Amino acid sequence: MTNRWNRLLAAPLLALLALLAFAGPASASGESVGSCMAEKLEELIEESHGDLEEVLHELHVDTSIGDHFEKNCIEAPSPILPETNEIIWGGSAFLILFVLMVKKGFPAVRGAMDARAEKIRSDLDAAEQARVDAQSVQSDYEARLADAKTEASQLIDEARVAADQLKGDLAESAEVDIAEMRERAAVDIESSRAQAIADLRSEVAGIALGAAERVVHASLDAEVQSRLIDAYIDEVAGTDG
Amino acid sequence: MNVLALEFPPISHLFEWPEIAFHGTFYAINKTVLIYIAAVVITAAIFLLAGRKTGSLVPAGVQHVAEAGVTFIEESVVMETIGEEGKKFMPFLTTMFFFILFSNIFEVIPGIQFPANSRMAIPITLALVVWVIYNYVGIRSQGLGGYLKNSLFPPGVPVALYLIVTPIELVSTFIVRPFSLAIRLWANMVAGHLLLVTFAILSHTMFTSGIVGKVGSIAPFAMLTMMTGFEILVSVLQAFIFTILTAVYIGGSLHPAH
Repeated sequence: MTNRWNRLLAAPLLALLALLAFAGPASASGESVGSCMAEKLEELIEESHGDLEEVLHELHVDTSIGDHFEKNCIEAPSPILPETNEIIWGGSAFLILFVLMVKKGFPAVRGAMDARAEKIRSDLDAAEQARVDAQSVQSDYEARLADAKTEASQLIDEARVAADQLKGDLAESAEVDIAEMRERAAVDIESSRAQAIADLRSEVAGIALGAAERVVHASLDAEVQSRLIDAYIDEVAGTDG
Repeated sequence: MNVLALEFPPISHLFEWPEIAFHGTFYAINKTVLIYIAAVVITAAIFLLAGRKTGSLVPAGVQHVAEAGVTFIEESVVMETIGEEGKKFMPFLTTMFFFILFSNIFEVIPGIQFPANSRMAIPITLALVVWVIYNYVGIRSQGLGGYLKNSLFPPGVPVALYLIVTPIELVSTFIVRPFSLAIRLWANMVAGHLLLVTFAILSHTMFTSGIVGKVGSIAPFAMLTMMTGFEILVSVLQAFIFTILTAVYIGGSLHPAH
């Protein structure tokens, strides 16, 4: 009975196998030989009410063919079961790759990444240090500049004070000098004036004496002449007043 | 297989590739194996080339890929799940991420178009390796008794609930985890591959079936294009999920209180 059921199960598989076995280029009618055979076989099985043995008998086919297809088709390897050769090659491939990666590939890449990270870190540190140094230098320069500005400002103030002082001194000195000069000039003028008056008096006396001598032809002695002249001059001077 | 008038290849034809060399041996080479080898070569080449240029301050070329990968694993996986302590697992997690990623991404590489992780070999192998690692880490950091106690009797749970929690924890932590990890990756890649194949066959069939079909093929072709982009995302995402879950399991073994 079991055998019979197995054969019944094998029937559609037999049809399928026939289809696959003869599947090829489509025929002129657009149907492959395999599919045609399968259809005919299915029709025969239906006509004999599922009795494969009867169909096979009619077709003069050895009934053990059912067992053959059952063994080779139903018991075909499951696609989920791994193949030994693929496990061996796949496992070996992974193992070899893993050893290569552990020994060479991974440390090299990781090392390059770490070296780069370290270089970037050290460059950043150096840049930071340079920035701090530059800032320090800048602060230093700024302080010096501020000192220089203060110093210059002080110098300018001192110079201004000195200049003002000098200006004041010079002005005062000039005023003193002017006053002295003015005083000296006044003295000189006065002296010159007195001298001029004395000279004039002497000159006028001489002229007057000469004139008197000519007018009076008198023989006045020199002392009387001088006294008369002085009296005249004083008189003249008093009238000039 | 005839599905709605489409000649669709049997599933086994989409995933089981004929042997190319060493036929019939346990070390036979097929397309899947070649993709594993390509994933190893590509990952190793990226890291070895990137590691060679140690002098340059500004990264260039493959250095970007390798360093972005390492930074991503470190910041988004290790630091988020394990913390500083997890940095010793960086080489393992990075290798795992790139290996899975490149095994997946061949799904959308023209001419290859097959995700190697749609075969169970690597998902289950890696999941079992992860299982060994997180159990070893747990036993080493907490001792066998402490690890079992913290795993099976999580602190903070009312004692009565241990009747329910402990069997669940036993099954989920020690039995289901590796399989869920493996099946998640495998099933996602299988589904993605099937989607791409479906839309590719649909586009091809419609394009070769007359003027109406030619015009109509725009729709499945647009879907195929969109799904190709989506599968790139899935490839990356599944590599990330496998890696981050590994990190979560390791972190859980290191820090039982969390």
